[in-house]
Amino acid sequence: MKFRLISSCAVIAYTLLVVVPLWLAIDRLIWVAGFNPLDWINSLDGNYISQGVVAFTFLQALLSTVVTLAIGLPIAWQLGRYKWPLHSLIKATLTMPFVMPSIVAAMGFLHLIGPSGLNIRIDDTTWFATLIIAHAWFNLALVIRFCEPVLSTLDPKLEEQMRLLPAGHSKIGRFRNLWAPLLAPSVAAAACMTFVFSFTSFALVRWITLGDNTLESVMANIGSSAGIPNYMLARNEIILGASLIQFTILIASLWLMSWLQHRRQNLLPQASEITVKRVNHRGWMIVFPAVIFALSPLIAVFWASFRIRHTDSSGTSYSWETSGWEFAFAGSGSMSSAWDALWNSLGYAMITLCIALPLGWALAQTILDIEKERPKTARFLDVLTMIPFAASSVMIGLGVMLGMIRVNAEFFYSFWPTPVIAHVMITTPFVVRIMLPALRSLNPIYDECAQTLGIPAWRRFMLIRLPLLRGSILVAVIFTLAMSLGEFGASWVVTRNSDWTTLPVMIDSLRSIPYNNTYTAPAACAVSSVLMGITLLLFTWAEKFRPARDGGMF
Amino acid sequence: MKIYSLGVVFILATMTLTGCVSQKIDDGVIIAPSKYEWVDDGELVIVTYDVYGLNDAMLEEFERQTGYEVTLLKLDDAGSVIDHLLQHKGLQVADIAIGIDNTYLQTAIDNNVLWEHNAVLTNISDLALLPYEGPYAAPFDQGYICLNYDSSVVDGENFTVPQNLWDLTNDEWSGKIAIPSPETSSPGRAFMTATTDYFTHDDDNETEWTDWWTAMSRNEVIITTGWSEAYETHYTGGYGEWTDGYVGNAHAVVSYCHSPGVEAWSAGNWTKSVSLDLPRASFHQVEYAAAIEGGNLDAASAFIQYLMSPEVNSKMPTENYMYSTLKGMDLPEDDGYRFHSRIPDQPANVSATKIAENMENWLAQWNTAMVDA
Amino acid sequence: MLKCNSLTKSFDKELFSEFDLELQPGEIIAIAGPSGCGKTTLLRCICGLEKLDSGSIYLNDENITNLPAEKRGIGLIFQSPVLFPHLSVEGNLLLGNKKGDVAKALEEVGLSDFQNRRVESLSGGEGQRVALARALLAQPKALLLDEPFSSLDDELSDKLVQDVRSILKQRKCSAVLVTHNKVIAENFADSVISL
Repeated sequence: MKFRLISSCAVIAYTLLVVVPLWLAIDRLIWVAGFNPLDWINSLDGNYISQGVVAFTFLQALLSTVVTLAIGLPIAWQLGRYKWPLHSLIKATLTMPFVMPSIVAAMGFLHLIGPSGLNIRIDDTTWFATLIIAHAWFNLALVIRFCEPVLSTLDPKLEEQMRLLPAGHSKIGRFRNLWAPLLAPSVAAAACMTFVFSFTSFALVRWITLGDNTLESVMANIGSSAGIPNYMLARNEIILGASLIQFTILIASLWLMSWLQHRRQNLLPQASEITVKRVNHRGWMIVFPAVIFALSPLIAVFWASFRIRHTDSSGTSYSWETSGWEFAFAGSGSMSSAWDALWNSLGYAMITLCIALPLGWALAQTILDIEKERPKTARFLDVLTMIPFAASSVMIGLGVMLGMIRVNAEFFYSFWPTPVIAHVMITTPFVVRIMLPALRSLNPIYDECAQTLGIPAWRRFMLIRLPLLRGSILVAVIFTLAMSLGEFGASWVVTRNSDWTTLPVMIDSLRSIPYNNTYTAPAACAVSSVLMGITLLLFTWAEKFRPARDGGMF
Repeated sequence: MKIYSLGVVFILATMTLTGCVSQKIDDGVIIAPSKYEWVDDGELVIVTYDVYGLNDAMLEEFERQTGYEVTLLKLDDAGSVIDHLLQHKGLQVADIAIGIDNTYLQTAIDNNVLWEHNAVLTNISDLALLPYEGPYAAPFDQGYICLNYDSSVVDGENFTVPQNLWDLTNDEWSGKIAIPSPETSSPGRAFMTATTDYFTHDDDNETEWTDWWTAMSRNEVIITTGWSEAYETHYTGGYGEWTDGYVGNAHAVVSYCHSPGVEAWSAGNWTKSVSLDLPRASFHQVEYAAAIEGGNLDAASAFIQYLMSPEVNSKMPTENYMYSTLKGMDLPEDDGYRFHSRIPDQPANVSATKIAENMENWLAQWNTAMVDA
Repeated sequence: MLKCNSLTKSFDKELFSEFDLELQPGEIIAIAGPSGCGKTTLLRCICGLEKLDSGSIYLNDENITNLPAEKRGIGLIFQSPVLFPHLSVEGNLLLGNKKGDVAKALEEVGLSDFQNRRVESLSGGEGQRVALARALLAQPKALLLDEPFSSLDDELSDKLVQDVRSILKQRKCSAVLVTHNKVIAENFADSVISL
């Protein structure tokens, strides 16, 4: 009985917090612009502000995917097929970019190619190339995470057998008949996810390219003009059109991913342990530059936070000072200090955790509980928890801004935790996806045995369930905290028109300050360094507790 | 299976969306903030973009004089300020809007988001009152929008100095002009308005102002969201090369006729930026401070009073890089400020009424013109 | 004393119908029958892990038919030892009784000094002994055993059968064993019935 109550509360809470804002936002946009999907799509190329955006978004996403695979596969191969000293450290370094907040990466690359770095930031070719490479930087981790376990746990007998067969005499033959089919689903999954992440890119596009927009960044830019009756109707159409396209792409990729997941699990037999024994010295030519590549934007950001530019009639010089840090943390009448942003970010992260973790867990448990008796309802619930995956961060931000806040604007604007709504919307589905397999793998016999020993329900939870799920819970906790702290798209949309601030939003605001102020860029880098440091801490902690399962994203 | 279900959910959900929920919300059923009661809570929230003159010293002095606590809500440009006013209509989240100009003001007034302030304004120049003289907005600075070019590059040898706007559509200017968008920026909108007048009065009866914009779009004109991006990041003739993020690919930009003066004054009487004074290719812009409906009217009025006081307003040229709106004020002469600033001979003549009637159409036409390239 | 009246349960097919059982204090009964005929389900119903279709169960004259498993006071030994992997042997035993005398319990089952062992390191027979010790620490009014000896080889299982029987008799603990092995049933129980 208590059981059912928790389940219904969870489902209701989730629907109110997550589904309803999106629904309300779309309702509002349709109210202003009218229900005509064809018009929406046409408005994208029919308006100057969004002209060419669809083409650009697809183009850069495709190129990013290709480049990511081109860079990532050799690295995954080296890591998967050979033994390396400090293997886990190298792997962690190479997969760490994935969890970095996008705004930190944006600052990093900006400084890498800027005047205090390589100084190649000249025209749109360099911007575009940098964008692609930045996407590859982020998504390398996916290629490695998906492909490396497959490579390293392959039963060596299969390869040995292949070498002895005519089809496998040559390297190409082996590639075609063994490696390609083996890796194909993992590569496809990595490609699919890379495409999606590049497709919905915002922070990088905003800072690295000038004037180019993806669907995501266009939506963010015009969001504040939307949802107002009889005002800039075209912008509402653009947002609806962009959302429709993004939603379709995201759904398609969700489908593709689940199909591929299925295929990956039924493939060639794998040994239970890592079977790789050989060392490859020449492989350092690939792995070493890769490690440098993974670390360079972060080093650039930290380094740039101490470089202050001085310009006068004799020219430009740089000095090493902490003024950037002081500027960031001092604040002024018009800009909050980094302390405020830090306090807010940590606060939001904790509140998000306190909501998303129990909520996601309860939802996962509910799905599991009703799976046997009512599989269709369980399916529906499962799909419902995936809805936020089909919405990009900006869409979620618009959902909160146009949907939720409009319900009672006065309340929501004065309510400090309002941005948490967006964070909960984004993190809860991840908690469900982490907890569901963990709960599934929990043998029910443990709970039954404890029942026969006379242990009451709450003690069973504390003494048995919790400890057995510890690893997954910790991963869920760390992931939720990291996502909330680094969240940019939704937070940017929600906090723009108010005085809420978070670390990522503050980095963006600092860098956007116009006029000749030599402290703003170093200050932005200083705050980025703080955010980077916290993220690294969380990431290292998570690596310790990650259950050693085959190639999942987490 | 999962994905089909998701698709079905989406289709069902969108089909039930007819906007009826939002209609109800806006009819006042769920949102019910009062539109007529306001409280003087000792706080002043200013909605603005990066108006340079609203610096810490100036705000602290106001706080000291009146006891109000000031919070600054900084948005991107005039367009965002209008968006904010409309999005938050009646919600009492801000008290005063600063930075709407005479090309944006009518939208604000038409949508009933402003309130009559009760500051007493005296000694305002006739020129500043020309576009608007009513109780809803107080003119606090003004200037002439026009094109600036980098005279070290555009010297007549490597680059021809434009004699009319059509020259800017020539190949040599391809990708080398930066103009802020009229949809979001007030200088951008002002310039667009000027072009509506320019091309009505030029020798060519066959082309319209929209044709020029189409030609500019074909010629890869750089359109930015705001003035600062155009001037700092793209323009080579200004202080941009000393800012972070400088790219420097434009040799002409839409800015103010007195921008070269500001450059000279900041750099010790030297600048390479020059205003391009073509007849009707410049626009007289006035920027306003206006009390927001439902906000703290006393606080807003007090700030307007402060902003319009001789002590503060006389410093517009030095603190805010714009002309003052008080009678008898001019730019300082030091360091070539006044010398390098131009007052255009023949600015565009577009009445406030004409702007009010046509702005929406003009923006739509501009959009189409740019897309048609 | 455990009394079961007309227990009936079906699941796709009929598992047992109108099953009666009377267990005197200190008595050990074995229920024999081929695999898959519902013996395990019968035990799970008696201890409360599954619901009956009809029938009633009385323990010491108290009707426990609708009580949840943790409140019935009936212990269950599973087919394979169910030991919690995150706890040591001692930790597992303490789950049976927070204040239990762990040393004495281990001694009773012949595993003295096993307190700090990790459960993964125990053999099948050792695991079942720990499970038994744990179940007994909870001081059950009756103990059910679901073929706990079948996963062990003959020699070990014979020894375990004898040891468990003598422990139960010493404690005067009533028990019900289900098994498909007639020999074990006869060696372990006072009487054998068929399902």
